Amino acid sequence: MWEQTKRAFLESLERVFRALARLVPGLAAMLLVLAASVVLAAVVRLVVRRVCERLELDRRLRTWGVAAPPAEGRASPSVLVARFATWTVLALGFLVGLGVFDATAASALSMRLLEYVPHALVGLVILAVGIAGSRAVERGVLIGAVNMGLQSAHLLGLGARWLVVVLAGAMALEQLGVGGTILAVAFGLLFGGIVLALALAVGLGARDVVARSLEKRFPAKKEEGEARNDLHHL
Amino acid sequence: MDQVPLVGNGQPGGTAGTGGGGVLVAVEARPGPDPAAAAVRIEEAVRARFPGREATALVASRHGAEAVLVAPAEAAQARAGPVPLAASGGGGSESPLGALLREGDRRGSAAMGLVSAEPHDESADWLGMLLGPVVEGGFDLVCPAYRRHRAEGVLNTGIVYPLTRALYGRRLRQPLGGETALSLGLARTLLGDAGWRRDPASAGSDAWLVATVLSQGARACQAWLGAWPRPEVLPEDPSQTLARVLGPVFREMERHADRWQRIEGSEPVPTFGTGGLLEEAPPRVRIEPLAEAFRLGQRELEPVWGLVLPPSVLLALRRLAAGGPTPRLEDPLWARIVFDFAVGHYARAVERRQLLLSLTPLYLGWVAGFVEETQSLAPEAVEDRVESLCLAFEREKRYLISRWRWPDAF
Repeated sequence: MWEQTKRAFLESLERVFRALARLVPGLAAMLLVLAASVVLAAVVRLVVRRVCERLELDRRLRTWGVAAPPAEGRASPSVLVARFATWTVLALGFLVGLGVFDATAASALSMRLLEYVPHALVGLVILAVGIAGSRAVERGVLIGAVNMGLQSAHLLGLGARWLVVVLAGAMALEQLGVGGTILAVAFGLLFGGIVLALALAVGLGARDVVARSLEKRFPAKKEEGEARNDLHHL
Repeated sequence: MDQVPLVGNGQPGGTAGTGGGGVLVAVEARPGPDPAAAAVRIEEAVRARFPGREATALVASRHGAEAVLVAPAEAAQARAGPVPLAASGGGGSESPLGALLREGDRRGSAAMGLVSAEPHDESADWLGMLLGPVVEGGFDLVCPAYRRHRAEGVLNTGIVYPLTRALYGRRLRQPLGGETALSLGLARTLLGDAGWRRDPASAGSDAWLVATVLSQGARACQAWLGAWPRPEVLPEDPSQTLARVLGPVFREMERHADRWQRIEGSEPVPTFGTGGLLEEAPPRVRIEPLAEAFRLGQRELEPVWGLVLPPSVLLALRRLAAGGPTPRLEDPLWARIVFDFAVGHYARAVERRQLLLSLTPLYLGWVAGFVEETQSLAPEAVEDRVESLCLAFEREKRYLISRWRWPDAF
């Protein structure tokens, strides 16, 4: 009886150890991949920082109105780009590690996630470019509207910015495969709403500008005391 | 203003100063009067004014993306007339100056002139005044100046003249006149300038010509050509004018930074003709829209201005906007604002075109104050007022130099 129990226990223990022994190479390989990805992430971070410095990314983005001026406690664009690259490499390393581990479920999950990575990256890039571009668009529209004498210049700039952000967001979500038809409908409604709001803002704020523009185009008669200046500035 | 008589008292036939080469004049094709007819008229006038010199007048028009010089008959034969050039005073391949320099060099012309087709003030002997200093006086460059109403050409009065004078130390009253006359020697020097290769978009512009000549110490003078030949086209939007004019001026500042930082004060240049203000037919100027544009800009564009203007200037602008109905920007404040924008342009603190466009409300605010202040002054007092503005620019030049060397330090 004791012998039978002992044998059964030892056999199950042996099975456990065999199973563990089968896992060890996969575990070691996964740890190796993770360690390699950490090193690679550090290298990528260094390279990205150097490239950003060489390209004067922070200054250029400030010039284009994409990034705000440097302030205490606020990370610069090049730091953000380096962080993004680092975490992307670490995440990819983790997924590859899971695949190497050779656990069936984990491997299938990692494979699906890896297939999704390019879409996620493209979506992120679209969103980042959209957000960055929206600030440049906002500044351009704001300055143009002020120079046209529109009282609602700030609103116009903000509207133009959100138009770009919404467009970029919709494109990014489509890339991620999120939303489907609902997304297209929601985007259409939101986009149309913003355009309508901008049209109203322009219509209400730019009556004088439109009148001046028409007057320039059709200079039929000149009335005394017109509300425009006749100056040649140069 | 110091005035120098023309060699030979401005009489026709003088040949002092240059060899026996001819006189070449290019008439710019712009929307307005027929340049071919103007070229024929000008050629006859030049021949009469400088007998013994071969006189040639050609039409500067656009062929594709380039400015070319064609004979008046050829220009007149074109089905829709000569193709007009881009906006006056610009650089690049569309600049007529490059075509004129090359043609003048090829012909060995003693003097070259670039003029507009608009009717000029014949009572002022404008062609003699423009070309005479080169043909008869041995000058390299003649910069024209015109009699204008006190409220016109305010971009020149408020920025271009004081800035050019403070930078290069020469008192050219209207540095970007559009028209000009040059000697063959200067033309050949200019053709060899590295700017044509390094910055082809800017080379050939008015600002490039004046900055290159003044920084190289060539013999420059100015000539009053009478009343300003007012173009038939409607005035351009001020923001577009600012961007078009100040972009090349600021770029030239960058190109010649090592030279203008060594110049202190200013000196008059030899001047021909009689200057002054035009009093008849003043343009309509309403001050309230200008002041309102300033207030709107102060309200909306302060975050953009904050990228190039120091906090003390922003505070002063806030006070001005909240103050009386017409903003009065003090001369030192205005000089510093212009210098700060020049530094911002150089340091690319903001995208360059956006930066120049964002200066518009400030400029209109300055114009409002200037027009209100000078509208009741006598002509001499207006000139004194401009002189005091220029002196403020000269005094504040140290500030410019310090900001130029440390653009981020404010």
